[in-house]
Amino acid sequence: MRRVVLWSVVVLTALVLQSTLFAQISLGGTKPELVYLVTIVLAFLEGPSSGAVAGFAGGMVEDFLLNLPKGITALTLTLVGYAVGSIRQFVVSPSPLLPVVVVGTATTTGILFNQIVAFLLGQLHVGAGEVVRVALLTGMYNAVLTPILFPVIRRVAEASRAKKVFRW
Amino acid sequence: MALYSRPRTTRLLVVSLVMLSLLTITVDYRGGRAGPLETMGEGALSVVGALQGAVSRVSRPIGNFFTGLAHVGSLRAENDRLKAQLREAHVKAAESTTKDRRLRELQQLLKMKEQLSLRRTVTATVIGVSVSNFEWTVNLDKGSADRIKVDMPVISGDGLVGHVVNVAPHVSVVQLIIDPDSAVAGRLSSSGETGLVIGQRNHPLTMDLVNPNANVAANEQVVTAGYQGGLYPPEIPIGFVSHIYTRPGSLTKTIELTPAGDFSALEVVLVVVRS
Repeated sequence: MRRVVLWSVVVLTALVLQSTLFAQISLGGTKPELVYLVTIVLAFLEGPSSGAVAGFAGGMVEDFLLNLPKGITALTLTLVGYAVGSIRQFVVSPSPLLPVVVVGTATTTGILFNQIVAFLLGQLHVGAGEVVRVALLTGMYNAVLTPILFPVIRRVAEASRAKKVFRW
Repeated sequence: MALYSRPRTTRLLVVSLVMLSLLTITVDYRGGRAGPLETMGEGALSVVGALQGAVSRVSRPIGNFFTGLAHVGSLRAENDRLKAQLREAHVKAAESTTKDRRLRELQQLLKMKEQLSLRRTVTATVIGVSVSNFEWTVNLDKGSADRIKVDMPVISGDGLVGHVVNVAPHVSVVQLIIDPDSAVAGRLSSSGETGLVIGQRNHPLTMDLVNPNANVAANEQVVTAGYQGGLYPPEIPIGFVSHIYTRPGSLTKTIELTPAGDFSALEVVLVVVRS
């Protein structure tokens, strides 16, 4: 329960910041995708199943605010969360740059996938070049924000974990 | 055995979530504007809209406060009391410039409303923009409780802004005319030729399907055509002609337009309830 409440607060904060504050601080005309960032960092820390569930829930909320068929972002973020969580298990690198690279790459890939699904449903109104440009810029923006937001999200993740009780 | 079961449950979970997403996409794609999904969407919009309103109310005075502080920095030699007074004065000045700007905007809106002789309008404040990088929409602080409905036109003091695409009780979403999905019937003000004005994101708007023999002047104003039964009332300014060309192989002229208003600085708008 505590977990659900904490993560809902994080996702809502991400959505509100993305559409108010970060609309004014844009990089080449693009805003960061904070819901992607939260999903990726969570999957990175907690594994594929948490990543998939958080991605699905966050994506669904974002979908309800968009003018596209609902479910596209949920589908994207479920897969992004699962993929990041799964790949993470095979990467053993203590480098502090790892989350930055993972967030950047996964955001760009996720947005490209999202727009391909939108295209298949006949809902893409911009050119392919523009999609690639926005995907790359958003990936970069998310990567830049990772060093600031990663510790915050990690703290929430630690706080939301079930406390282990030892009895003897 | 236990080693096998974990990845399997994860995979099952992911597959079911993917199926659920696909199901949602299908239901929404086929259902259109009705059903339980719309109600849930309204709920999500209300919650996020309320938060957006609160954040933008809080963030504006904070911005003004910091602008005030920045001016005070140069007067370090003055004593504390004077500094405090000055800071206060600057904050007040920043506040009053904001108020002045708002006042000017409202006056302009009123003038536009009188010019177009619109009968019933609702004044609303912009509280946020779309969460997506592929949609050009803004959220307003008024919704169906103020009799705003989907498809109502929205104007600013400069001209046409767009139309309402989604409403919740106290929030509404407006698709801007610069959205690539937006198309408005426009008319050249002096020649009277009509065409379709299509959004091009941050680039100038284009006006397509214009009669190739039309006499188009540079800087000519384009206004809404206002067809019978159309979305927009007539004579609302859209933009000014900046470039004219014929696409190779096309039988019609294409015109580039500079929008009449600045879409990155929208603050107060009018929703036309009845024209």
